[in-house]
Amino acid sequence: MAGFLIKRLLQAIFVVIAITLVVSFAIRLTGDPAVTMFQGGGAMTEADLARIRAALGTDQPFIVQYLHFLKGLVTLDLGRSFTGGTSVSLLIGEALPATLLLAFISMAVSVVLSIPLGIKAATSKGKGADQIIRIFSLVGLSFPNFWLATMLVLLFSITLGWLPPSGMSGAASYVMPAITMGIILTATNVRLVRTSMLETLQSQYIMVARAKGLSETKVLYKHALRNCAIPLITYFGLQFGGLLGGIVVIERVFNWPGLGTLAFDAVGARDYPVLQAVITVLSLLIVGINLLVDIAYGLVDPRIRTE
Amino acid sequence: MKITKRGLTTTFMALALSGAAIFAGPAFAAGKMTVSSPQDPGSWDPVDTFLVQWAAVATNIFDGLTYRGPDLKLVPGLAESWEELDDGKRIRFKLREGVKFHDGEPFNAEAVKFTFERLLGDEGAKGPQRSNYIAIDSIEIIDDFTVDMKLKAPDPVLLTKLAGYGAMIVPPKYIQEKGEDNFNLNPVGTGAFKFVSYAPKIDIKLQANPDYWGGAPKLSELEYRFIAEPATAVAELQAGRVDLVIPPTIPIGMIPVIQGDSKLEVISVPGPTVDALRFNTRDGITADPKVRKAIIMAVDRATIVKSILAGQASEISSFQSALSFGYDEGLKTLPYDPEAAKKLLAEAGVKPGATVQIDIRGNDATMNEVAQVVSSYLSMVGITATIKPYETNVLLNDIIPQGKTGAMFQQKWGGWTFDYDNTAYAMYHSGEKWNPYDKDEKLDKLLESQRPLTDRAEREKILQEVARYAADRALELPLYNSNAIYGISKRVKGFVPAPDNRMKLNDVTVE
Repeated sequence: MAGFLIKRLLQAIFVVIAITLVVSFAIRLTGDPAVTMFQGGGAMTEADLARIRAALGTDQPFIVQYLHFLKGLVTLDLGRSFTGGTSVSLLIGEALPATLLLAFISMAVSVVLSIPLGIKAATSKGKGADQIIRIFSLVGLSFPNFWLATMLVLLFSITLGWLPPSGMSGAASYVMPAITMGIILTATNVRLVRTSMLETLQSQYIMVARAKGLSETKVLYKHALRNCAIPLITYFGLQFGGLLGGIVVIERVFNWPGLGTLAFDAVGARDYPVLQAVITVLSLLIVGINLLVDIAYGLVDPRIRTE
Repeated sequence: MKITKRGLTTTFMALALSGAAIFAGPAFAAGKMTVSSPQDPGSWDPVDTFLVQWAAVATNIFDGLTYRGPDLKLVPGLAESWEELDDGKRIRFKLREGVKFHDGEPFNAEAVKFTFERLLGDEGAKGPQRSNYIAIDSIEIIDDFTVDMKLKAPDPVLLTKLAGYGAMIVPPKYIQEKGEDNFNLNPVGTGAFKFVSYAPKIDIKLQANPDYWGGAPKLSELEYRFIAEPATAVAELQAGRVDLVIPPTIPIGMIPVIQGDSKLEVISVPGPTVDALRFNTRDGITADPKVRKAIIMAVDRATIVKSILAGQASEISSFQSALSFGYDEGLKTLPYDPEAAKKLLAEAGVKPGATVQIDIRGNDATMNEVAQVVSSYLSMVGITATIKPYETNVLLNDIIPQGKTGAMFQQKWGGWTFDYDNTAYAMYHSGEKWNPYDKDEKLDKLLESQRPLTDRAEREKILQEVARYAADRALELPLYNSNAIYGISKRVKGFVPAPDNRMKLNDVTVE
């Protein structure tokens, strides 16, 4: 186990270095934060720009700036935002929980909806319930999430006035973002559960379980679900990682103060320290999730544990 | 121990204030107003930013020596009066007495000296604002409420610049004791509203300053929420959770949504922002002034303003708005005349089918449409235009300054000082970052000659000459001056929109 963890840790370090190196380098090709800072400010001289670059540290060669960033990572000092000089750790500290919470709730909505619906579709293969679930899933897959978000806002905030249209303030504000994300995820997951379940239901041990006279619920949720859990866990894990990256649009529509908003603004302002920090946190999260997925395999399937 | 004591004092003060709020009655009429602003400037320190969204909030927290409100007239602020001495190289300010910063610290000559020494010193060197105030040499304290501002050279726009941004007067003791970092996030000024709290990317909350020298605000609380997405800001407005959406948020296409809601209205005023398609005057067919003139004559700008901009803009004849100092009503652009344009093109030897590329900001929805229309007008005189959208920062940081644009490129400009010098110098003077292609000695001389003049009439004449000369040489295809568009709830009364977003909300009430 220790060897496994060390291997994973080294892997995480490699991933973070590779990703941040590419991102830091690429973003520096697209413009100078000093010029961005002068937008709307009228004439600027080279001396002005040089003064700002020196203050930001962008006058240093790329490799010096990058090593400085790595050093900051090790000492947990992520530097200061180019926009206003706020501590990056403070910004991340406020944005990370907002994003994680939203992602968890969306994921939970999706798991709670997709497993029973997927199983229902599998057990009634080809019949009415299956058809309806599959049609809804296709519709869900087809519309873009920002469109769904806008429609929900129109209905629940403007017409009915039940929910706040944006912002993170109390339980009510989670409903629409979580439903938007959750429904889109469910649309994919239902199909996955259905296929996986159909395969499992063909197995002989299911026939045996039924022959033993077990209740249908027990057959489905105890025997079948557990055996088709491996592909589902892998997929949900990967999906959670993708969710963190894809949450940008939803965060923007719902003005959610999370990592997506932070990254979006940082790209716009060429705020290197913030962008690098967000990317680092996201890649660490994804590596971490993959690790959790691996551990979860062992929990659901004793055969993997003993290997 | 000290901290505990301060904590207790604050608590006591808060209790006292809330008591005052309850018992003071109508003079302190209750009412909270929420404003949606498209961007969080990240720091509230005046030296740190050029963002108009900073100014929208900060005008309510800080004061300058002078003040310029929505009517754009320069009036006394923290200085009651001033006089220019030594041929404009020294300005003597008589300061307002009895004014206190929100933390109780007195405002006096010392605070003025501290503010400008900070702006021009090490702290100011880290931010962009300093470059606006380099004309200031030093501040001399004459007595507690009189200061002399000594200038290196006269700066005719200085008094205007003292009304905003980097020149906001800051509290010396507070900054020295609590540090610069604290000041970024916890601003203290002399303004109509006191800072309460700031959550990055979420909101900043203010409360009324009942001792404000300009009269206590009628609102008790003022909150600015940062909402970048226009549809979201408008939804919040419709849901009644936001009372005012400030520019630049609402795109022209969204105006009907607000107008269709009986609780809301749209208010718009001409703003400082102008758009032009500038020419590459160095290479290609647009190096020939005849071709540039032909292109200007080929485009019907009146129709563009009427149909695409839905009247939320006005035509311009030079690269400035009608509000700008240096604007010349008499200056007319070349008329829309496709036939004459074709003739000019033939004279210049440009064959039908010649191509130009128009570089624009990709996220500027309005310009995307405008460029399409320009392109179809050009096709009518035989020029094939392709439109190339860039991410804004790439266009500004790389494509324009490095001279990598197509034959035409979008430039959007809007200086809050409303002085044509701000635009013209940056656009036309040789070697300036925004002028990658053109070199013109006559223009350089004109531009330099007006900078030190304190004689307004004389300077205005030269600025008008600059505009005329630029138009004669057809340096750009002037397009339009966009309105500043506000979306507002009808429960807000007494709101006066400002062209530049800088307005004190102390006379506003909410029902």
